[in-house]
Amino acid sequence: MTEISYQKLPWEVRDDITAAHRRAWQRLGQAGIWLTGAQRIAVAGETRTALDCQLCRDRKDALSPNAVQGSHDHTGQLSDLEVEQIHRIATDPGRLGRDWYEGLLASGMVEERYVETLGVIANIVAIDTFTHGLGLDPWPLPEARPGEPTRKRPAARRQLAWVPTLAPEDAIGTDDQDLYAGRPTAANIYQAMSLVPAAVKGFFDLVVNQYLPPQAMRDFDNEYRAINHAQIELVAGRVSALNQCVY
Amino acid sequence: MVGDGDPRDGGIENGARLIRFATAVLGDDAGELKAAREDIAAVMGGAALTDTAAVAALFNAIDRVADATGIPLEDVKAEATADFRADIGIDAFAAADEKGHAA
Repeated sequence: MTEISYQKLPWEVRDDITAAHRRAWQRLGQAGIWLTGAQRIAVAGETRTALDCQLCRDRKDALSPNAVQGSHDHTGQLSDLEVEQIHRIATDPGRLGRDWYEGLLASGMVEERYVETLGVIANIVAIDTFTHGLGLDPWPLPEARPGEPTRKRPAARRQLAWVPTLAPEDAIGTDDQDLYAGRPTAANIYQAMSLVPAAVKGFFDLVVNQYLPPQAMRDFDNEYRAINHAQIELVAGRVSALNQCVY
Repeated sequence: MVGDGDPRDGGIENGARLIRFATAVLGDDAGELKAAREDIAAVMGGAALTDTAAVAALFNAIDRVADATGIPLEDVKAEATADFRADIGIDAFAAADEKGHAA
């Protein structure tokens, strides 16, 4: 079992970051809502493999990703559809479009699996980019644990995004009302993966520890990190600009 | 903290250093990333470096969540930022049309 630790680094890493990464690694190998533990580990491995995929490199360099045809370099553990999803999200997210998403859907993609897969990708990117930034190798992936997905779908509807989402008001009185803690509204980014509430909870465990907890985001009278609010938003904005993310 | 130091900082203390690191961590120049990392650690301290890495990494992930689900920017945020999104070129991003807030 991999034990994530940053103690050997010459720089201090906050304990809450280390703890959040350990929790993420523990969740990664466990059966999820639509994927088994083995499938989640396969998604994580494919996310890493995408970074060395020649087709993805060629597409990234092309004026349009649709102009380049070919096969992805992949691990061989997942379907072609899943490989396409993972590689495009991992390597060229700024040019994803509704047509691409609907093309996957028409080819048999299951939306609930798509969203859980996205959650795994997001966790891997958040942790692997952190280790890369600090000059570390990526952590070995955890072992898959036995267990079956629960396949429990919330009362999500297609309303906000390409993917179905669970609106805060629709969660009230359901098994998923804890997702919004009874609040009537939530930021769109928080609702984005609500088709799989566990994916939201897991990813936002990283958000509050690597970025800021909700109550700290607009508390400009106090600072919570070793860099201040303006510096945090500068870094976030630069990364998002490089990724061509408009959100 | 807004200051009157190096103009490359964009009015934010150590802004140029932070932008250099955020750019390098998404790039493929290992030497530049190492230099950017060491510069922040030397001038701002180790805790500032690791917090900077944490934020950069988190946004590298959250961008993918936004882009792969097609969530739009909230209307109130879109209205509040319409002028400078156009000015600095965000509306020209490929995803802008997809999210309904292109110029």
